[in-house]
Amino acid sequence: MEELINNKEELFEFLKKMIIDTLRLEDITPDEIENHAPLFKEGLGLDSIDALELVVAIEKIFNIIIEDENVGQKAFASITALGMFIQDEYQQVQAD
Amino acid sequence: MEFKNKRVVVTGATKGLGRAIALSFAREGAWVAANYSSDDQSAARTESELASLAPKSLLLKADVTSKTDVDKMIKRVLDQWEHVDILVNNAGIIRDKFLMFLDENDWDRVIDVNLKGTYLCSRTVLRTMIARKFGRIINITSPSARTGRAGQTNYSASKGGIVSFTKSLSKEIARIGITVNAICPGFISTPMTESLNQDIKCDLSNRIPMGRLGQPEDVAEAVLFLASEKAGYITGQVLAVDGGLI
Repeated sequence: MEELINNKEELFEFLKKMIIDTLRLEDITPDEIENHAPLFKEGLGLDSIDALELVVAIEKIFNIIIEDENVGQKAFASITALGMFIQDEYQQVQAD
Repeated sequence: MEFKNKRVVVTGATKGLGRAIALSFAREGAWVAANYSSDDQSAARTESELASLAPKSLLLKADVTSKTDVDKMIKRVLDQWEHVDILVNNAGIIRDKFLMFLDENDWDRVIDVNLKGTYLCSRTVLRTMIARKFGRIINITSPSARTGRAGQTNYSASKGGIVSFTKSLSKEIARIGITVNAICPGFISTPMTESLNQDIKCDLSNRIPMGRLGQPEDVAEAVLFLASEKAGYITGQVLAVDGGLI
């Protein structure tokens, strides 16, 4: 897990596959998700209910808690934002 | 055994309706976590009945108005069972008084047990249901929520709140495969109604088109239906089990 989190490219790829699997997006491939593109409303066009499923998936996989809706919104702005959020949270947990 | 190995949490499960619901699930093969708050004697009896029907059942003493208690309770369930499929928010109390005499403690306690308890338990099991894209949340409301009743401003407010909560939550998570519904029991034969005098019981029966009080098992059957795969397209609804009362 540490190796995955510390390797940005691999992490971003993993997150794209995770989003596709969790939300059962059958018509989308990881290559079609740009790192900086918005995940919600525009870009991938996800909505707030999709966010619930993604929050639960992220929490389970990375052992992170996302209690605050505002934190979640910032984290899920894009793949890049999500990757950086996970890296930051993981480092904090390791430091504690 | 329609609910074989389904994991069910029932709050207020050791007396009256809650007990009937818990035992009905256990008879259908479910693993039942029976929550109660304080009556250890009734809890011990229900535990023994459940153990004979469903060996993996759990007895959980917890105050549903306390986030700490509810978190610990659900954590214990998840540690032992890994997930929860069905939650029945049955825990509820009555403190009937005309509003003029209804003190803050009686107001708060009824709202907390009935409505806040429903919120805390639902919120705490939600993640496990979302992760599996399956869940059933069944809340217990009351005819008092629709018609009101003198002496029950606190109770009817809490039960009315449960209806609104049910409808709102159902819209949040319908797409994920979790249904949220409410059961509205009418006048049901429980230790509480059995203790009423004969005249009152007669009057109650006369008001019910079916001419009799309901049995706890009548309500339990409706809960089991809403929890079943057959009810997979029903959500955000209130099912009255009241012999035609309302």
